[in-house]
Amino acid sequence: MTAPVKGWLRSGNHWQGAITLPVLLVVAFLVLLPVVFLLEESLNTGDPMAFPPQQYGLANYAAMLEEDLQVIVNTVVIAVTATMMAVVIGFTLAWILTRTNVPGRDRLERLMQLPYYMTPLVGALAWAVLASPKSGFFNQVWRWAGGEGDLFNIYSMFGIAWIMALFEGTVAFVMISAAMKSMDPALEESARVIGASKLRTALTVTLPLVMPGVLGATLFVFAEMLGSFAAALVIGIPARVYVITTAIWDSTLSYPPAYGRASAMGLALFVVMFAMLSGYRWMVARGSFATITGKAFRPRTMDMGRLAWPLFAVCALYIVLAVALPLAALLLTSLERFATALLSQAQFTLANYEMALALGPVRTALANSLLLGLGVATVGVLVMALLVWIIYRSEMVGRGAVEYLVMFPQAVPRLVFGLALLWAWLNMPIPIYGTLWLLALAYFTVMLPIGVRTLAGVVLQVDKSLEECARVCGAGWLYQLRTISLPLLKPGVIAAWLLIFMASVRELGVSVFLMGPNAKVIAPSIVGAFASSGIELTAAMALIQTFTVVVALMILFRLTRGMTRELT
Amino acid sequence: MSDSASRIVVSDLSIRYGEVTAVNGVSFEVGRGEHVTLLGPSGCGKTTTLRAIAGLEQPAIGTISIDGEVMYDAIERRNVPTEHRGVSMVFQSYAVWPHMTVLGNVAYGLRVRKLASSELSAKVERALDLVQMRHLADRPASKLSGGQQQRVALARAIAFSPTVVLFDEPLSNLDAKLRAEMRLELRELQRQLGITSVYVTHDQEEALAISDRVIVMNVGVIEQIGTPEQIYNRPRNRFVADFVGSANLIRGRVGKPLANGGTIEFMADGGHVLRATAPHALRGGETEVAVRTAYIEIGKTADANQLPGTVRRRMFHGDFVQYVIDCPLGQLIVRRPPTNLVAEGEDIELSFSPEHCILLEG
Repeated sequence: MTAPVKGWLRSGNHWQGAITLPVLLVVAFLVLLPVVFLLEESLNTGDPMAFPPQQYGLANYAAMLEEDLQVIVNTVVIAVTATMMAVVIGFTLAWILTRTNVPGRDRLERLMQLPYYMTPLVGALAWAVLASPKSGFFNQVWRWAGGEGDLFNIYSMFGIAWIMALFEGTVAFVMISAAMKSMDPALEESARVIGASKLRTALTVTLPLVMPGVLGATLFVFAEMLGSFAAALVIGIPARVYVITTAIWDSTLSYPPAYGRASAMGLALFVVMFAMLSGYRWMVARGSFATITGKAFRPRTMDMGRLAWPLFAVCALYIVLAVALPLAALLLTSLERFATALLSQAQFTLANYEMALALGPVRTALANSLLLGLGVATVGVLVMALLVWIIYRSEMVGRGAVEYLVMFPQAVPRLVFGLALLWAWLNMPIPIYGTLWLLALAYFTVMLPIGVRTLAGVVLQVDKSLEECARVCGAGWLYQLRTISLPLLKPGVIAAWLLIFMASVRELGVSVFLMGPNAKVIAPSIVGAFASSGIELTAAMALIQTFTVVVALMILFRLTRGMTRELT
Repeated sequence: MSDSASRIVVSDLSIRYGEVTAVNGVSFEVGRGEHVTLLGPSGCGKTTTLRAIAGLEQPAIGTISIDGEVMYDAIERRNVPTEHRGVSMVFQSYAVWPHMTVLGNVAYGLRVRKLASSELSAKVERALDLVQMRHLADRPASKLSGGQQQRVALARAIAFSPTVVLFDEPLSNLDAKLRAEMRLELRELQRQLGITSVYVTHDQEEALAISDRVIVMNVGVIEQIGTPEQIYNRPRNRFVADFVGSANLIRGRVGKPLANGGTIEFMADGGHVLRATAPHALRGGETEVAVRTAYIEIGKTADANQLPGTVRRRMFHGDFVQYVIDCPLGQLIVRRPPTNLVAEGEDIELSFSPEHCILLEG
């Protein structure tokens, strides 16, 4: 008997196809179509606003090499610098937290997630407050103490790379510590038993085994850094240092907007990132990790003796640089009339918060972001749950394709996806461009990977036999769903909801392109305030946004305490 | 097609996963109150067969009926959903629901059946008493040890008084000591309640100890069906002889039948002539006899096959002693009780009765 007939026989299966096909089409429409539009526009050499293009050619790509060579060089230099810093930081922290008896290890490990939730946008603003020339807090204090000139200048290539490494490099720590944790301690112990010294074991066993993990993390982080936008926008534009993402953004601002140029750059970036991520996947799949099983071990920790406290200080320093100092600087600035680190000169006021909450555009932007967060998270979780069920629990034909489509947005830089959506929906006969509806649709699309992955993690944890057992006990499908499946999935569903909510409230890359005058959201508004209003007001807005995310985060942490830890 | 003596009738069952045939034309019956075990190595299709009876797997061919009612019929496209088959099951992973208490787990099947609360609590208590878990009724199921989860799973499976209970390797996750205890309890419980059960295991010792009948499976087909004694004493083929218990296999060819019932002459390679038993009809092509390691005696016995031998190795196992013995048939493994030890290098006489020398199907 063939598979379809078999599927037909199973009670209640015949409507499954009726669900999958539309789902597949809708997801493909949302995910793939914008990229097709982008490709077409990148080949448009005629009027950039014309659709469909009147002339095709490769001029846009050629222009990139002729006119934007400096941008490419900047991008590579900054991405390489940031990746190196991120990997060094990640490796050091991962080693300290998994292999040494540093005090307060579990707590420190949780704190390491915070920079990720801070977001690079808030991080960049905070470091602009801390380390800009002249007015930066560090430089103020330096001159107050009698120093000359500026100690730091964040408005530089190194400055951009530094912020990227601090706030987007957390993933290096997560990946490397996962590699270190999944190594069976017996591999090291057997080297020691055979007679190798500690150092020899580290060099001949530990390092070679962890190396693939480190290389994988490096490749992955580098791809992320190439597509990074926020720090380059906040710091790079005032510094006149353009990278590819800001160059894309900039060419859409000219008149007429050079959508063709922007599309060509976006597509080139996408291809490079896609190649790197594929390379990373290939490395993982090829089994360079043969000795690294999926199992998590608690590796034997080394007793560091008196060195334990200095190691603790290293971890603490990272938290201070990536969380405590930035937040303190923003808080101080937001409460002052004029930003200053010298408390004797400070004039404290709540006016910035009053202004942020009273100002019409800011208020609507905040309200819109919250509305989008609530809406996208709620509807998104329902739809994603259906997708997860199709991909991981049904036996339908084409579920592999659904999975691939759902994960696709991850490979596209957020900003490029925003551009693609912009161009696609400008030319689609459905008039939702410039409304919250398009933003909602865009958020849903770019959050598919994280939402589906979070939900799938929980679904896969729930042993199938728990559900089967309910059926054997005589429960019908609905009764089983109500009494067994849903209660077991509840924490995961809430976690996914909160993650999507947080990601929506802080979304920048897609929003900058799709926001309309009547549909403003908070993150681009913060960038706008930074460019046009004072840093004090910007700081207040950034803190309000951060506060919203922190509340959601606290609920998330409380919920997931017993559950899985790596919700990155 | 099914007479009322049989509780479960499985006929001609085949189950496929894509290109792979997991179960290939399996037929058997389980009588009322009978305890039947499906025994075989991993991947032999035993669990798949069990799950098909529960309605958790979709067969490609064949029929399954329970109590005379057809539950699955590939040709008539009849497939009664799991929850309407009235069977119960204990899962290998226990599948104890972590978000409920012990009581919530055990009462589930009764709540599904909308029992009145007085009757419900009486039945739950009885089930919990049977597995000695009443004192833990209010404990969250996530805070139970492996052995306790096992008991909860068992109580849950019998609480709603099912007539058929399916067991999918229920003891395989327990340690050896606990496993032996639970084996005894299961057998006791099964007798007490008079339930019909189908039990899946890869542990031959477990299968022999707790079953009325054993079905030995391999690569999707049934190799032999019989009582534990039949399976052990009269294995049908090489696979059964090898997989259940331990046996010496001796190659050779069949000679002439001897006068007294079923005994034949067997010319072992190397020229030695043995008297053997052919419990199954001769089909020609038989080339092996099996002799259980426990059935070979050291010393002379009247009216048995006799062989001289030398002890090559002796290994002390505690409950028995295993000898490797060089003899005209090659090397034989012999297991004896740990009394009267024989030293390595000693010359001895081996003997085994013709009824323990079983001709295998070719």
